[in-house]
Amino acid sequence: MSTFLEKIRFYSAHIIFVLICINDSILINTWIAPGPIINIKYILVFYFSFFDKGRFSITFLFLVGLIFDSLQGMPFGMTSICFILLSILASYLKQRRTQTNFQNEFIAFVISLLITQITSVIILSYFSPAPFEYLLLAINIIVSLVFYPVLRTLLKVLYNY
Amino acid sequence: MSQNRLARSSTPGVSALQKTISKKFLLPFYIIISFLFLFSEKSDFKAIRFLKALINDGITYSVYIVNAPIKLISDLGGSARQYLNFNIILENKKLKDQIEQLNAEKRELQFFKNENDNLKRVLGIKNKDDYVSIYAKIIHEDTNEFAKNLILSIGSNEGVQLGQAIVLNNVYLGKISEVNLFSSKAMIITDLNSRVPVVIPSRGVNAILKGNGLAGAQLLFLPQNAVLENNDQIYTSGSDGIIKEGLYIGKIITDNKKDIKKRKYSVDLGFKEHQLNYVSVLKVKK
Repeated sequence: MSTFLEKIRFYSAHIIFVLICINDSILINTWIAPGPIINIKYILVFYFSFFDKGRFSITFLFLVGLIFDSLQGMPFGMTSICFILLSILASYLKQRRTQTNFQNEFIAFVISLLITQITSVIILSYFSPAPFEYLLLAINIIVSLVFYPVLRTLLKVLYNY
Repeated sequence: MSQNRLARSSTPGVSALQKTISKKFLLPFYIIISFLFLFSEKSDFKAIRFLKALINDGITYSVYIVNAPIKLISDLGGSARQYLNFNIILENKKLKDQIEQLNAEKRELQFFKNENDNLKRVLGIKNKDDYVSIYAKIIHEDTNEFAKNLILSIGSNEGVQLGQAIVLNNVYLGKISEVNLFSSKAMIITDLNSRVPVVIPSRGVNAILKGNGLAGAQLLFLPQNAVLENNDQIYTSGSDGIIKEGLYIGKIITDNKKDIKKRKYSVDLGFKEHQLNYVSVLKVKK
Protein backbone atom coordinates (compact mmCIF):
# COMPACT_ATOMS: atom_id res chain seq x y z
CA MET A 1 0.00 0.00 0.00
CA SER A 2 2.80 2.37 0.97
CA THR A 3 4.63 1.53 -2.27
CA PHE A 4 1.49 2.41 -4.19
CA LEU A 5 1.18 5.74 -2.35
CA GLU A 6 4.85 6.45 -2.97
CA LYS A 7 4.32 5.77 -6.66
CA ILE A 8 1.38 8.18 -6.74
CA ARG A 9 3.44 10.80 -4.95
CA PHE A 10 6.34 10.23 -7.33
CA TYR A 11 4.29 10.49 -10.53
CA SER A 12 2.12 13.35 -9.25
CA ALA A 13 4.95 15.72 -10.20
CA HIS A 14 4.86 14.39 -13.76
CA ILE A 15 1.07 14.78 -13.94
CA ILE A 16 1.17 18.32 -12.53
CA PHE A 17 3.94 19.26 -14.96
CA VAL A 18 2.10 17.88 -18.01
CA LEU A 19 -1.20 19.52 -16.99
CA ILE A 20 0.52 22.86 -16.43
CA CYS A 21 2.26 22.63 -19.80
CA ILE A 22 -0.95 21.92 -21.70
CA ASN A 23 -3.05 24.38 -19.71
CA ASP A 24 -0.47 27.13 -19.41
CA SER A 25 -2.86 29.89 -20.37
CA ILE A 26 -6.02 28.79 -18.60
CA LEU A 27 -4.59 27.75 -15.24
CA ILE A 28 -1.94 30.38 -14.77
CA ASN A 29 -1.97 33.23 -17.20
CA THR A 30 -5.62 34.19 -16.82
CA TRP A 31 -6.18 33.47 -13.14
CA ILE A 32 -3.02 35.00 -11.75
CA ALA A 33 -2.06 37.58 -14.36
CA PRO A 34 -3.64 39.19 -17.43
CA GLY A 35 -1.15 37.64 -19.83
CA PRO A 36 1.67 35.19 -20.39
CA ILE A 37 3.99 36.54 -17.71
CA ILE A 38 4.77 33.61 -15.42
CA ASN A 39 6.78 30.65 -16.60
CA ILE A 40 5.74 27.94 -14.16
CA LYS A 41 6.87 25.10 -16.40
CA TYR A 42 10.49 26.28 -16.25
CA ILE A 43 10.28 26.67 -12.47
CA LEU A 44 9.04 23.07 -12.16
CA VAL A 45 11.75 21.67 -14.43
CA PHE A 46 14.43 23.57 -12.52
CA TYR A 47 13.11 22.63 -9.09
CA PHE A 48 12.84 18.91 -9.74
CA SER A 49 16.16 18.76 -11.60
CA PHE A 50 17.90 20.68 -8.81
CA PHE A 51 16.55 18.65 -5.90
CA ASP A 52 15.79 15.29 -7.48
CA LYS A 53 17.82 14.64 -10.59
CA GLY A 54 16.16 11.33 -11.50
CA ARG A 55 12.57 12.49 -11.33
CA PHE A 56 12.11 14.08 -14.76
CA SER A 57 13.94 11.92 -17.27
CA ILE A 58 15.32 13.41 -20.48
CA THR A 59 12.86 11.36 -22.52
CA PHE A 60 9.95 12.70 -20.51
CA LEU A 61 11.14 16.31 -20.91
CA PHE A 62 11.68 15.78 -24.63
CA LEU A 63 8.15 14.42 -25.14
CA VAL A 64 6.44 17.11 -23.05
CA GLY A 65 8.44 19.73 -24.95
CA LEU A 66 7.15 18.38 -28.23
CA ILE A 67 3.55 18.43 -26.95
CA PHE A 68 4.01 22.02 -25.81
CA ASP A 69 5.48 23.10 -29.15
CA SER A 70 2.67 21.45 -31.05
CA LEU A 71 0.01 23.20 -28.96
CA GLN A 72 1.66 26.59 -28.93
CA GLY A 73 2.69 26.69 -32.57
CA MET A 74 6.37 27.01 -31.67
CA PRO A 75 9.11 25.56 -33.89
CA PHE A 76 9.08 21.80 -33.22
CA GLY A 77 11.85 20.81 -30.81
CA MET A 78 12.48 24.27 -29.32
CA THR A 79 10.87 23.64 -25.93
CA SER A 80 12.39 20.14 -25.75
CA ILE A 81 15.86 21.64 -26.10
CA CYS A 82 15.03 24.33 -23.51
CA PHE A 83 13.66 21.80 -21.00
CA ILE A 84 16.67 19.48 -21.42
CA LEU A 85 19.11 22.39 -21.19
CA LEU A 86 17.42 23.75 -18.05
CA SER A 87 17.47 20.32 -16.46
CA ILE A 88 21.17 19.78 -17.24
CA LEU A 89 22.07 23.27 -15.99
CA ALA A 90 20.13 22.78 -12.77
CA SER A 91 21.73 19.45 -11.93
CA TYR A 92 25.20 20.72 -12.94
CA LEU A 93 24.91 23.82 -10.77
CA LYS A 94 23.67 21.70 -7.88
CA GLN A 95 26.72 19.42 -8.22
CA ARG A 96 29.12 22.37 -8.17
CA ARG A 97 27.75 23.67 -4.87
CA THR A 98 28.78 21.83 -1.75
CA GLN A 99 26.38 23.81 0.37
CA THR A 100 22.81 24.30 -0.85
CA ASN A 101 21.04 27.19 0.78
CA PHE A 102 18.31 29.33 -0.74
CA GLN A 103 20.77 31.95 -1.99
CA ASN A 104 22.79 29.45 -4.00
CA GLU A 105 19.63 27.84 -5.29
CA PHE A 106 18.18 31.16 -6.42
CA ILE A 107 21.41 32.20 -8.17
CA ALA A 108 21.43 28.83 -9.95
CA PHE A 109 17.81 29.44 -11.01
CA VAL A 110 18.63 32.93 -12.34
CA ILE A 111 21.58 31.62 -14.36
CA SER A 112 19.64 28.62 -15.71
CA LEU A 113 16.56 30.66 -16.61
CA LEU A 114 18.57 33.35 -18.39
CA ILE A 115 20.59 30.84 -20.42
CA THR A 116 17.42 28.90 -21.32
CA GLN A 117 15.50 32.00 -22.38
CA ILE A 118 18.46 33.28 -24.43
CA THR A 119 18.59 29.88 -26.14
CA SER A 120 14.86 30.01 -26.86
CA VAL A 121 15.24 33.52 -28.33
CA ILE A 122 18.15 32.39 -30.56
CA ILE A 123 16.21 29.34 -31.77
CA LEU A 124 13.06 31.37 -32.31
CA SER A 125 14.79 34.13 -34.23
CA TYR A 126 16.54 31.61 -36.46
CA PHE A 127 13.78 29.08 -37.06
CA SER A 128 10.58 31.11 -36.84
CA PRO A 129 9.66 34.02 -39.12
CA ALA A 130 7.35 35.55 -36.49
CA PRO A 131 8.79 38.48 -34.51
CA PHE A 132 8.49 38.68 -30.73
CA GLU A 133 8.52 41.37 -28.07
CA TYR A 134 11.67 41.57 -25.94
CA LEU A 135 9.83 43.59 -23.29
CA LEU A 136 7.27 40.83 -22.75
CA LEU A 137 10.08 38.29 -22.51
CA ALA A 138 11.88 40.45 -19.94
CA ILE A 139 8.66 40.77 -17.91
CA ASN A 140 8.23 37.00 -18.15
CA ILE A 141 11.75 36.40 -16.77
CA ILE A 142 11.41 38.96 -13.96
CA VAL A 143 7.97 37.76 -12.82
CA SER A 144 9.15 34.15 -12.97
CA LEU A 145 12.09 35.08 -10.73
CA VAL A 146 9.82 36.90 -8.28
CA PHE A 147 7.35 34.03 -8.30
CA TYR A 148 10.02 31.34 -7.80
CA PRO A 149 10.30 31.55 -3.98
CA VAL A 150 6.50 31.24 -3.64
CA LEU A 151 6.24 28.17 -5.85
CA ARG A 152 9.39 26.68 -4.33
CA THR A 153 7.91 26.95 -0.83
CA LEU A 154 4.74 25.26 -2.04
CA LEU A 155 6.70 22.45 -3.68
CA LYS A 156 8.84 22.06 -0.54
CA VAL A 157 5.70 21.50 1.49
CA LEU A 158 4.34 18.99 -1.06
CA TYR A 159 7.53 17.05 -1.81
CA ASN A 160 9.62 17.70 1.29
CA TYR A 161 13.13 18.07 -0.19
CA MET B 1 14.59 2.06 -0.66
CA SER B 2 11.57 2.02 -2.92
CA GLN B 3 11.90 5.78 -3.26
CA ASN B 4 15.41 5.29 -4.65
CA ARG B 5 14.18 2.62 -7.01
CA LEU B 6 11.51 5.02 -8.26
CA ALA B 7 14.01 7.80 -8.63
CA ARG B 8 16.21 5.62 -10.80
CA SER B 9 13.34 4.62 -13.03
CA SER B 10 11.38 7.12 -15.08
CA THR B 11 7.98 7.49 -16.73
CA PRO B 12 6.25 4.12 -17.42
CA GLY B 13 6.47 3.03 -21.01
CA VAL B 14 9.36 5.35 -21.54
CA SER B 15 11.62 3.38 -19.14
CA ALA B 16 11.65 0.43 -21.55
CA LEU B 17 13.00 2.66 -24.28
CA GLN B 18 15.56 4.11 -21.92
CA LYS B 19 16.88 0.69 -21.04
CA THR B 20 17.46 -0.19 -24.66
CA ILE B 21 19.31 3.01 -25.43
CA SER B 22 22.21 3.66 -23.11
CA LYS B 23 22.09 6.81 -20.99
CA LYS B 24 25.20 8.30 -22.54
CA PHE B 25 23.61 8.03 -25.94
CA LEU B 26 20.22 9.40 -24.88
CA LEU B 27 21.11 13.08 -24.45
CA PRO B 28 22.82 13.66 -27.82
CA PHE B 29 20.12 11.52 -29.44
CA TYR B 30 17.31 13.83 -28.27
CA ILE B 31 19.30 16.98 -29.01
CA ILE B 32 19.92 15.76 -32.57
CA ILE B 33 16.25 14.78 -32.99
CA SER B 34 15.17 18.21 -31.70
CA PHE B 35 17.48 19.98 -34.15
CA LEU B 36 16.25 17.77 -36.99
CA PHE B 37 12.71 18.84 -36.10
CA LEU B 38 13.85 22.47 -36.02
CA PHE B 39 15.58 22.27 -39.42
CA SER B 40 12.48 20.61 -40.83
CA GLU B 41 10.66 23.89 -40.04
CA LYS B 42 12.67 25.51 -42.81
CA SER B 43 12.21 22.71 -45.32
CA ASP B 44 9.27 22.62 -47.66
CA PHE B 45 9.01 18.87 -48.21
CA LYS B 46 5.43 17.67 -48.50
CA ALA B 47 6.19 14.46 -46.60
CA ILE B 48 7.60 16.37 -43.61
CA ARG B 49 4.66 18.76 -43.58
CA PHE B 50 2.27 15.81 -43.73
CA LEU B 51 4.09 14.05 -40.87
CA LYS B 52 4.00 17.20 -38.75
CA ALA B 53 0.30 17.68 -39.49
CA LEU B 54 -0.30 14.09 -38.32
CA ILE B 55 1.71 14.63 -35.11
CA ASN B 56 -0.14 17.89 -34.45
CA ASP B 57 -3.52 16.20 -34.94
CA GLY B 58 -2.54 13.34 -32.64
CA ILE B 59 -1.32 15.67 -29.89
CA THR B 60 -4.31 18.01 -30.25
CA TYR B 61 -6.93 15.30 -29.84
CA SER B 62 -4.99 13.55 -27.05
CA VAL B 63 -4.82 16.82 -25.12
CA TYR B 64 -8.54 17.33 -25.71
CA ILE B 65 -9.25 13.95 -24.10
CA VAL B 66 -6.85 14.57 -21.20
CA ASN B 67 -8.36 17.99 -20.58
CA ALA B 68 -11.99 16.82 -20.78
CA PRO B 69 -12.39 16.18 -17.00
CA ILE B 70 -10.86 19.57 -16.13
CA LYS B 71 -13.15 21.31 -18.58
CA LEU B 72 -16.15 19.41 -17.23
CA ILE B 73 -15.39 20.56 -13.69
CA SER B 74 -14.96 24.20 -14.72
CA ASP B 75 -18.19 24.01 -16.78
CA LEU B 76 -20.04 22.57 -13.79
CA GLY B 77 -18.99 25.59 -11.74
CA GLY B 78 -20.42 27.90 -14.39
CA SER B 79 -23.70 25.95 -14.59
CA ALA B 80 -24.07 25.99 -10.80
CA ARG B 81 -23.65 29.77 -10.76
CA GLN B 82 -26.29 30.03 -13.49
CA TYR B 83 -28.83 27.99 -11.51
CA LEU B 84 -28.17 30.02 -8.38
CA ASN B 85 -29.03 33.22 -10.19
CA PHE B 86 -32.26 34.34 -8.49
CA ASN B 87 -32.84 37.28 -10.81
CA ILE B 88 -33.54 34.91 -13.65
CA ILE B 89 -37.17 36.05 -14.22
CA LEU B 90 -36.15 39.67 -14.40
CA GLU B 91 -33.24 38.80 -16.68
CA ASN B 92 -35.55 36.78 -18.91
CA LYS B 93 -37.88 39.75 -19.35
CA LYS B 94 -34.96 42.03 -20.17
CA LEU B 95 -33.64 39.56 -22.74
CA LYS B 96 -37.08 39.29 -24.38
CA ASP B 97 -37.20 43.07 -24.74
CA GLN B 98 -33.70 43.03 -26.23
CA ILE B 99 -34.70 40.35 -28.74
CA GLU B 100 -37.69 42.45 -29.83
CA GLN B 101 -35.44 45.46 -30.30
CA LEU B 102 -32.86 43.43 -32.24
CA ASN B 103 -35.54 41.96 -34.49
CA ALA B 104 -36.72 45.46 -35.33
CA GLU B 105 -33.15 46.49 -36.16
CA LYS B 106 -32.71 43.36 -38.25
CA ARG B 107 -35.80 44.19 -40.34
CA GLU B 108 -34.47 47.71 -40.87
CA LEU B 109 -31.05 46.32 -41.89
CA GLN B 110 -32.67 43.94 -44.35
CA PHE B 111 -34.43 46.92 -45.93
CA PHE B 112 -31.11 48.80 -46.30
CA LYS B 113 -29.39 45.68 -47.65
CA ASN B 114 -32.04 45.29 -50.36
CA GLU B 115 -31.78 48.98 -51.20
CA ASN B 116 -27.98 48.72 -51.36
CA ASP B 117 -28.15 45.67 -53.64
CA ASN B 118 -30.56 47.49 -55.97
CA LEU B 119 -28.35 50.58 -56.12
CA LYS B 120 -25.28 48.41 -56.85
CA ARG B 121 -27.17 46.71 -59.67
CA VAL B 122 -28.19 50.09 -61.14
CA LEU B 123 -24.63 51.48 -60.87
CA GLY B 124 -23.08 48.26 -62.19
CA ILE B 125 -20.91 47.66 -59.13
CA LYS B 126 -19.79 44.07 -58.89
CA ASN B 127 -20.44 42.33 -55.58
CA LYS B 128 -17.35 41.30 -53.64
CA ASP B 129 -16.66 37.67 -52.75
CA ASP B 130 -19.36 35.86 -50.84
CA TYR B 131 -18.28 33.94 -47.78
CA VAL B 132 -19.57 30.79 -46.19
CA SER B 133 -18.92 30.03 -42.56
CA ILE B 134 -17.79 26.67 -41.26
CA TYR B 135 -18.63 25.88 -37.68
CA ALA B 136 -15.66 24.78 -35.52
CA LYS B 137 -15.23 23.73 -31.93
CA ILE B 138 -12.33 25.14 -29.95
CA ILE B 139 -10.39 22.11 -28.78
CA HIS B 140 -7.70 23.97 -26.91
CA GLU B 141 -6.57 27.46 -26.10
CA ASP B 142 -2.98 28.35 -25.34
CA THR B 143 -0.99 31.40 -24.41
CA ASN B 144 2.70 31.81 -23.76
CA GLU B 145 5.27 34.62 -23.93
CA PHE B 146 5.59 34.23 -27.70
CA ALA B 147 2.14 33.31 -29.05
CA LYS B 148 -1.61 33.13 -28.47
CA ASN B 149 -3.46 30.36 -30.22
CA LEU B 150 -6.81 28.68 -30.52
CA ILE B 151 -6.85 25.11 -31.77
CA LEU B 152 -9.93 24.32 -33.85
CA SER B 153 -11.56 20.99 -34.60
CA ILE B 154 -11.50 21.37 -38.38
CA GLY B 155 -8.59 21.30 -40.78
CA SER B 156 -7.85 20.81 -44.45
CA ASN B 157 -10.55 18.09 -44.52
CA GLU B 158 -13.14 20.93 -44.33
CA GLY B 159 -11.30 23.23 -46.72
CA VAL B 160 -9.66 25.43 -44.09
CA GLN B 161 -6.77 27.48 -45.49
CA LEU B 162 -4.11 29.79 -44.10
CA GLY B 163 -5.23 33.36 -43.48
CA GLN B 164 -8.96 32.68 -43.29
CA ALA B 165 -10.76 34.78 -40.68
CA ILE B 166 -12.35 33.25 -37.61
CA VAL B 167 -15.42 34.99 -36.23
CA LEU B 168 -18.06 34.65 -33.59
CA ASN B 169 -21.42 36.30 -34.28
CA ASN B 170 -19.74 38.48 -36.94
CA VAL B 171 -17.07 39.63 -34.47
CA TYR B 172 -13.53 39.15 -35.79
CA LEU B 173 -11.37 37.01 -33.48
CA GLY B 174 -8.27 36.18 -35.50
CA LYS B 175 -7.03 34.21 -38.48
CA ILE B 176 -5.88 30.71 -39.34
CA SER B 177 -2.12 30.38 -38.88
CA GLU B 178 -1.55 26.66 -39.33
CA VAL B 179 -3.59 23.93 -40.98
CA ASN B 180 -3.39 20.23 -40.14
CA LEU B 181 -5.54 17.41 -41.50
CA PHE B 182 -8.23 17.36 -38.82
CA SER B 183 -7.35 20.43 -36.79
CA SER B 184 -6.07 23.94 -37.34
CA LYS B 185 -4.48 26.72 -35.35
CA ALA B 186 -5.76 30.27 -35.25
CA MET B 187 -3.80 33.32 -34.14
CA ILE B 188 -5.92 35.52 -31.86
CA ILE B 189 -6.12 39.25 -32.57
CA THR B 190 -4.26 39.97 -29.31
CA ASP B 191 -1.24 37.89 -30.38
CA LEU B 192 1.96 39.93 -30.71
CA ASN B 193 2.29 38.97 -34.37
CA SER B 194 -1.29 39.81 -35.30
CA ARG B 195 -1.76 42.73 -37.73
CA VAL B 196 -5.21 43.51 -39.12
CA PRO B 197 -6.13 46.34 -41.51
CA VAL B 198 -9.07 48.15 -39.94
CA VAL B 199 -11.35 51.07 -40.63
CA ILE B 200 -13.23 53.39 -38.30
CA PRO B 201 -16.19 54.29 -40.55
CA SER B 202 -17.59 57.07 -38.34
CA ARG B 203 -14.33 59.04 -38.78
CA GLY B 204 -13.29 57.71 -42.19
CA VAL B 205 -9.95 56.60 -40.78
CA ASN B 206 -7.89 53.55 -41.75
CA ALA B 207 -5.27 51.95 -39.50
CA ILE B 208 -3.55 48.72 -38.58
CA LEU B 209 -4.56 46.92 -35.41
CA LYS B 210 -1.66 45.19 -33.66
CA GLY B 211 -1.97 42.73 -30.78
CA ASN B 212 -0.02 43.59 -27.63
CA GLY B 213 0.59 40.00 -26.50
CA LEU B 214 -1.46 40.45 -23.33
CA ALA B 215 -5.22 40.96 -23.47
CA GLY B 216 -5.53 43.93 -25.81
CA ALA B 217 -4.55 45.54 -29.08
CA GLN B 218 -3.39 48.95 -30.28
CA LEU B 219 -3.90 51.07 -33.40
CA LEU B 220 -0.87 51.80 -35.58
CA PHE B 221 -0.40 54.13 -38.55
CA LEU B 222 -3.27 56.42 -37.61
CA PRO B 223 -3.27 59.64 -39.66
CA GLN B 224 -1.65 62.48 -37.67
CA ASN B 225 -4.77 64.62 -37.65
CA ALA B 226 -7.11 61.76 -36.79
CA VAL B 227 -9.44 62.49 -33.89
CA LEU B 228 -11.27 59.54 -32.40
CA GLU B 229 -13.88 59.53 -29.67
CA ASN B 230 -15.04 56.98 -27.13
CA ASN B 231 -17.22 54.19 -28.57
CA ASP B 232 -16.17 54.76 -32.19
CA GLN B 233 -16.58 51.34 -33.73
CA ILE B 234 -13.77 49.47 -35.50
CA TYR B 235 -14.33 47.09 -38.40
CA THR B 236 -12.04 45.09 -40.67
CA SER B 237 -11.29 47.08 -43.82
CA GLY B 238 -10.61 44.03 -46.00
CA SER B 239 -7.79 45.91 -47.72
CA ASP B 240 -5.48 42.89 -47.48
CA GLY B 241 -7.84 41.06 -49.82
CA ILE B 242 -8.07 38.02 -47.53
CA ILE B 243 -10.15 39.02 -44.54
CA LYS B 244 -13.76 39.91 -45.22
CA GLU B 245 -14.50 43.61 -44.82
CA GLY B 246 -17.00 44.91 -42.30
CA LEU B 247 -16.38 42.42 -39.50
CA TYR B 248 -16.82 44.09 -36.13
CA ILE B 249 -13.66 44.21 -34.00
CA GLY B 250 -14.41 46.48 -31.07
CA LYS B 251 -14.67 50.08 -30.00
CA ILE B 252 -12.32 52.91 -29.20
CA ILE B 253 -11.56 53.98 -25.65
CA THR B 254 -9.75 57.31 -25.24
CA ASP B 255 -8.11 58.88 -22.22
CA ASN B 256 -10.25 62.01 -22.93
CA LYS B 257 -7.31 64.43 -22.91
CA LYS B 258 -8.31 67.84 -24.21
CA ASP B 259 -5.12 68.18 -26.23
CA ILE B 260 -5.94 66.00 -29.22
CA LYS B 261 -2.28 65.46 -30.12
CA LYS B 262 -1.57 63.91 -26.73
CA ARG B 263 -4.67 61.75 -26.71
CA LYS B 264 -4.04 58.02 -26.46
CA TYR B 265 -6.36 55.36 -27.79
CA SER B 266 -6.96 51.81 -26.70
CA VAL B 267 -9.34 49.22 -28.09
CA ASP B 268 -12.13 47.44 -26.25
CA LEU B 269 -12.35 44.19 -28.19
CA GLY B 270 -15.75 42.76 -29.03
CA PHE B 271 -15.11 39.38 -27.44
CA LYS B 272 -13.80 37.96 -24.22
CA GLU B 273 -10.74 35.74 -24.38
CA HIS B 274 -10.91 32.37 -22.62
CA GLN B 275 -14.71 32.41 -22.84
CA LEU B 276 -14.97 30.93 -26.31
CA ASN B 277 -16.25 27.46 -27.12
CA TYR B 278 -17.26 27.62 -30.77
CA VAL B 279 -16.24 29.85 -33.67
CA SER B 280 -16.86 30.08 -37.41
CA VAL B 281 -14.19 30.05 -40.09
CA LEU B 282 -15.02 32.28 -43.07
CA LYS B 283 -14.32 30.68 -46.43
CA VAL B 284 -14.75 32.29 -49.86
CA LYS B 285 -17.76 30.80 -51.65
CA LYS B 286 -16.71 29.31 -54.97
